[in-house]
Amino acid sequence: MQENNKKQVLLVGNPNVGKSTVFNALCKRKQKTGNYAGVTVASHSGTYSYKNEEVEVVDLPGSYSIYPSSEDEAIFSKFLLDEQKNFAGVIYILEALSLKRGLLLFQQIQDLGVPMILVVNQIDQAERRGINIDIQKFSEALDINIIQTNAKEQIGIETIQEAVLNNNFTKKENPSFEVPPEHKDFLDKVRSHNHFENDYKAWISLSLGADPEKIDETSELINELNSKSLVPKRLQVQETVRRYQIVDKILADVISKKPQFKELLTEKLDKVLVHKFWGYIVFLLVLLIVFNSVFFLAEYPMNWIDSFFAWLSAFTSEHLPQGPINSLVSEGIVPGLGGIIIFAPQIGILLYFLYLLEDSGYMARVIFLMDRFLRPFGLNGKSIVPLVSGTACAIPAVISTRNIENLRERLLTILVTPFMTCSARLPVYSIIIGLIISDKTFLGIQYKALVLLGMYLLGFLVALLSAAILKGFIKNQGRTYLVMDLPTYKKPLFGYDFKMVLGKVWDFITGAGKIIFLVSIIIWVLSYFGPKQNTNEIVATNVELDHSYLAKMGKAIEPAIAPLGYDWKMGVGILTSFVAREVFVGTMSTLYSLDDDAPEGKVIDKMRHDVKPNGEKVFSFATGISVLLFYAFAMQCVSTIAVVYRETKSWKWTGFQVVMMTGLAYFVSMIVYQILK
Amino acid sequence: MKDNYLHKLSSFPKDKFGKILGYDNDHLKMPNKIIEMGLLPETVFRILYQAPFKGPLYVEFGNEKSRIALRKEEGDYIIVEDLD
Repeated sequence: MQENNKKQVLLVGNPNVGKSTVFNALCKRKQKTGNYAGVTVASHSGTYSYKNEEVEVVDLPGSYSIYPSSEDEAIFSKFLLDEQKNFAGVIYILEALSLKRGLLLFQQIQDLGVPMILVVNQIDQAERRGINIDIQKFSEALDINIIQTNAKEQIGIETIQEAVLNNNFTKKENPSFEVPPEHKDFLDKVRSHNHFENDYKAWISLSLGADPEKIDETSELINELNSKSLVPKRLQVQETVRRYQIVDKILADVISKKPQFKELLTEKLDKVLVHKFWGYIVFLLVLLIVFNSVFFLAEYPMNWIDSFFAWLSAFTSEHLPQGPINSLVSEGIVPGLGGIIIFAPQIGILLYFLYLLEDSGYMARVIFLMDRFLRPFGLNGKSIVPLVSGTACAIPAVISTRNIENLRERLLTILVTPFMTCSARLPVYSIIIGLIISDKTFLGIQYKALVLLGMYLLGFLVALLSAAILKGFIKNQGRTYLVMDLPTYKKPLFGYDFKMVLGKVWDFITGAGKIIFLVSIIIWVLSYFGPKQNTNEIVATNVELDHSYLAKMGKAIEPAIAPLGYDWKMGVGILTSFVAREVFVGTMSTLYSLDDDAPEGKVIDKMRHDVKPNGEKVFSFATGISVLLFYAFAMQCVSTIAVVYRETKSWKWTGFQVVMMTGLAYFVSMIVYQILK
Repeated sequence: MKDNYLHKLSSFPKDKFGKILGYDNDHLKMPNKIIEMGLLPETVFRILYQAPFKGPLYVEFGNEKSRIALRKEEGDYIIVEDLD
């Protein structure tokens, strides 16, 4: 089998050393971005073939040390220790500008006895800084061949592929870090007892703070372990300091520096970008540009998609044989799908900007700027990334909390991020705002735009407020801190990020598409059939909407939702939205397309003119606001619930979040409706 | 009793060069990340920026001019001396 012959290699390095650039240069075409559902650690893997050899490259999340201090590093470390034996070896990426930091993790992996290929990337950058690296000496000191690359310019990439082809992965014979003599005897016992291949593996089993039972199931070693009171953290510090001493000695021989060097772009940019005043202005401007693009750039593709689905609906209606199937396709499935695909451009644009900002190194500056302001709410500066990503989709946002070290801050961020206005709420907001807000302008700005902006602010404020309230209820585990690298600015990988976005948007369309397809069919079936009206029928077909099974069910829940100002159709819309918010639009489209009493025309016009039996408009101002608030607060997304459970590993917190958000939504909507009506 | 000539990194003036001497006594509470990122004894550093309202410090350090953000609380663990 071809699959089994594939050589597998791991790509490892510190964060922000250009690992993605190398990955991208290696696997130009065949990449898969990891999807949310998988349990695999790999953010992505790719394949290339070189001289008839198929190679799979797994790109691991960046880390500074084998000792994890956050969830993403824990995933990295566990994967490396447990799975490394299944791979041909590790390709380790060093950045020429931060050799020292990179060599810490490099040595650790080398000492584990893992076969490696070492790549030094961006030597040109170092030279520009007046730093000269003697590669020959460097290679001898590290006991490994060094491949120099400039991945951005494709230089050296083929050399890596050649090295992989020839299996030029090397193992180091003698470890760089020798276990401290005072622990040597005990470590020897641990090593022989557990059959560890080398001293460092035995050391790591202690310094990682492993369960003593795993080290020895008999009590002899455990007793000795306890009597020695080996504190894992102390061992880690001891190792790290020792390794840096070794690294310093190596680098002193290898690096020579010219006395002066140019100011780098990063230094110039940071004068403004982290400035006490201008830094915040720039951040606001960036947000403005991003959201402006989301709404205005996306308008064109959205119009095309809209016209296309209108045409498709008319086309299927005309060309399919008359009857139930015609109605199902042209009035159910097509408008339902169209209602969701239309939002793909907005989601795509938002995600693209977020990737570019992350890539360029700017996000770290935002964390620096925002940390002080988020702390009173029990959050960390790093929470700003999930919060901003949450405006695209809560799922990747919740996953991106993994780099928050403190567990309470991470849990709080996970709990409040779904309050941020995600793109699935947009379709709902757009329709409701279109129905209840007039076309007038205020100082040249549309009221509609202002209300939409207000909804975004509301989401953000409620996220912060609920964090401030909830922080009192969550026990603090461990200390909170912020120790974060501020990487050099880099030109973002425009093409690579674009591919990533396309993948994510496609996931969104197919994921949501499947659900909407199903829901459309169920709704159509329930509304096409009804309880029998003549005695000789089993069920009535092609009934009026008001006599259908769907109406029966909707009317059954009406008492629960009437205080919020909703009629049974909206009740059905809201119920189906618990699968995913955007389903509301599909459901409404399907429902109103099916309503034969309503005048012909666009669904939105049908909704606008729909009246309750007492003559009131169904979508009155009070009802509209109530719907907006309900969607702002309620936890209506099965995928988010699943990912929150996966990340928190706690049904208690997952359930709490669902109840808290939905309860808040119900009561706020009810109160506001009762006041406004 | 603290030696008067020793500062904590958190109270070190901006834009001046200093050198890390070591860590505060209860450094087992100190996040390992500080050491892992390379803020080790003998390292020369300079505080370039601080975010408003006593926010995080922006520190440039070492031969490679690495940059790191840390809060004042983390700076409290690090004992430094003036180089000027």
